[in-house]
Amino acid sequence: MIQLIELGKRFGNLVAVDGINLKVDSGEAFGFLGPNGAGKTTTIKMMAGLIKPTSGKVVIDGWDLAEHPNRAKKVVGFIPDRPFLYEKLTALEFLKFIAGLYNFSSNGVEGKIDYLFGLFGLTDWRNELIESFSHGMKQRLVMASAFVHQPKLIIVDEPMVGLDPKGAKLVKEVFRGFCAKGGTIFMSTHTLEIAEEVCDRIAIIQEGKIIAVGNMKELKERTGSGGKNLESVFFKLTGGEEVKRIVDALKV
Amino acid sequence: MREIILLLKTKILSYKNSSKNEEKKRFLRFIIFFSVGLLFWLGTFLIFFRVLSYFASIEVIGALLASRLLSMVFLTFFSLLIFSNVITALSTYFLSDDLQLLNSTPVALSSLYAGRFVENIVNSSWTVLFFSFPVFLAYGLVYNATLLYYLTLIGVIVPFLLLSAALGTILILILVYIFPARRLKDIIMLASIFLVVGVFLFIRFLQPERLVNPESFYLVMDYISNLKTPTSPLIPSQWAANAISPLLFGYPEDWGFFLLLLWSTGLAFVVMGEWVFKRIYYDAWSKAQEAKSAKLSRSKIINRVLETMLRPFPSQIRVVVLKDIRIFLRDTNQWPQLFLICALVVIYIYNFSVLPLEKSPMPTFYLENLLSFINLGLAAFVIAAIAVRFTFPSISLEGRSFWIVKSSPLELRKLVWSKFWLNFFFLLIPAEILIITTDILMNATNFMLWLSAITIGGMTFGITSLGIGFGAYFSRFKVENVSQIATGFGGMMYMIVAVSFIGLVVILEARPVYLFFMSKIRSIPLTGAELTEIVVLLFMALILNVLAFILPMKLGLRKLASLEI
Repeated sequence: MIQLIELGKRFGNLVAVDGINLKVDSGEAFGFLGPNGAGKTTTIKMMAGLIKPTSGKVVIDGWDLAEHPNRAKKVVGFIPDRPFLYEKLTALEFLKFIAGLYNFSSNGVEGKIDYLFGLFGLTDWRNELIESFSHGMKQRLVMASAFVHQPKLIIVDEPMVGLDPKGAKLVKEVFRGFCAKGGTIFMSTHTLEIAEEVCDRIAIIQEGKIIAVGNMKELKERTGSGGKNLESVFFKLTGGEEVKRIVDALKV
Repeated sequence: MREIILLLKTKILSYKNSSKNEEKKRFLRFIIFFSVGLLFWLGTFLIFFRVLSYFASIEVIGALLASRLLSMVFLTFFSLLIFSNVITALSTYFLSDDLQLLNSTPVALSSLYAGRFVENIVNSSWTVLFFSFPVFLAYGLVYNATLLYYLTLIGVIVPFLLLSAALGTILILILVYIFPARRLKDIIMLASIFLVVGVFLFIRFLQPERLVNPESFYLVMDYISNLKTPTSPLIPSQWAANAISPLLFGYPEDWGFFLLLLWSTGLAFVVMGEWVFKRIYYDAWSKAQEAKSAKLSRSKIINRVLETMLRPFPSQIRVVVLKDIRIFLRDTNQWPQLFLICALVVIYIYNFSVLPLEKSPMPTFYLENLLSFINLGLAAFVIAAIAVRFTFPSISLEGRSFWIVKSSPLELRKLVWSKFWLNFFFLLIPAEILIITTDILMNATNFMLWLSAITIGGMTFGITSLGIGFGAYFSRFKVENVSQIATGFGGMMYMIVAVSFIGLVVILEARPVYLFFMSKIRSIPLTGAELTEIVVLLFMALILNVLAFILPMKLGLRKLASLEI
């Protein structure tokens, strides 16, 4: 479903993403982890077509994003970390707008929208302006909008930001259900527990390079973490000593 | 004091750092802003110098007129300053993003008041101060004022600014304490625009052109006695005028008294402002945070009509146009501009309806058609002015939500063209109404009517394309206030290019129209050479229109495609 081939991005002298290679299959939930500034959001933005790579390419569902951007984007639902939306539209108008953008305006669209409002707990808010929504509600609306055109792939940057525990549980279930039906999830997150629960495979990126890829078992074996959780794997790979020093420094 | 300096330093550093990022554009921007500013400055100075020199040459009532004008100038500045302070204070004290952080720190209320007060004065007063300088300089030069006049002027302006800033701050504190801040901004904007439009229309419909009729002067003594009466002894702007007048016109008034009155009142209001601030700011601030979810009325009928009208279009175009219209109708920030423009158009048409063409010594036929030709340029300028407010910002209005469109399979070309057509019809309708109504009011010939209607139609293509193209090229998705999009560097560049385009088209059409009318007046048919000249020049105008239609759209699209968000 996704192929990242020698994908790189520079901002002036800063190398944000340094020639990464990845392959994600259909039906897979793939986690993309890394410390702040590692290049996660830049990679995701390149995959969503928001920024152009300096080198390499992104292939989605067999379509090269640079050559056939619209064909590739058609199968993607994108959920950014910060839900900037058209504040003066109602939730219903917004979802209809998204459906129209993806040329998905057949008779079934109203039913699909109703279903998504129900699923994400927004039915009572469907005719309210988005400007009156809380951050968490906006995040739920963006998620609903990502599913409205029946995508094959969901690219999501920090899915749990602003969500309450109930919302977070719902999102995990929705993602699992989506993958069970053959959909693919590519998710960047800081919440290691979510990655561990939802993702089939995980890649860890640091300083623009992928330093490890595999399922939980493979990652644990590689780091010698034994029965420990993803957190210890993550710290071993990305410099846990540094974190320990910070924690010590914060102690009063 | 340390806290106040710290608060101000943060603002100065933010400004310095933001301009550092735009090194390349900065020089060009500076040159353009400087030139335009200088032009306005010189224009204001020359107009006042001319008017005041004329007043100085009239005995008895000359000085009275100049003195009355000074009172009016101060009154205008005073109202402008209070209005501007109210708007700025709402942002600086209640809506500014950094207030969340500041109010969670142990910054003393008096420091916050003082720090923001200085910021308020700088933000709200610099334009008034800048444009008042040529006015006062003109007064000083015409009436041969001494150094004492200029020193007193500084002594008058400082408390004048303090007073208006304190009044504006107190007013907004009380208003926000009573009403929610986020609705208040709309209310203030709408009310102020209604007020401005009302005053405009009032003055216009008074028909000031009647004053040039000698019959109007029969009550000259009444006029003089009216001039001698001060505007109102209780208004601070009159104190400012009274403090300056003796140094200009040699009146025996006690200018020192008025100067002290200004200072004592100004400082008293600053202290009163602090007192009010300390008592009600936290309550008002807290209220302002709660009022985000105000509901806006949404008409189902309008929505249905729009959806039905747009049904024939492809789904992607339909949803983009529908979204733009909905946002436009619901964003009250746009309304005041619309009201102002409607008022300008009404005044514009009215002006043409009252032109006393029959009293002119020139042949009416010639004059009517000459005027309708000038009208063409002016009407196009009005359309460009509307476009800079609505068409130019239309791409930037996607704002931070631009990711939605950019990550969707909608081609940017379709987005940009859907905006083009929406704006084109939005501009074409007033353009044609404007030109046809005024031409009919002036009894222009059918030839001129058709030429004007076709030319303005053609120019609307160019004006719209320039608006969308430049808007895309100079797009600003992160701007907080919509009006900043049009008043920025890109907006100014757009106006310069649009006005040059209009000027060139009018120049290219001037000669053919001249030849046509001369042949009509002289009743001599056009020669072959003249006909060729007409065709060539009109063809060149057509080419210019085509270029203005195609090039900016291409340029804007290319820039938008390469944009990274």
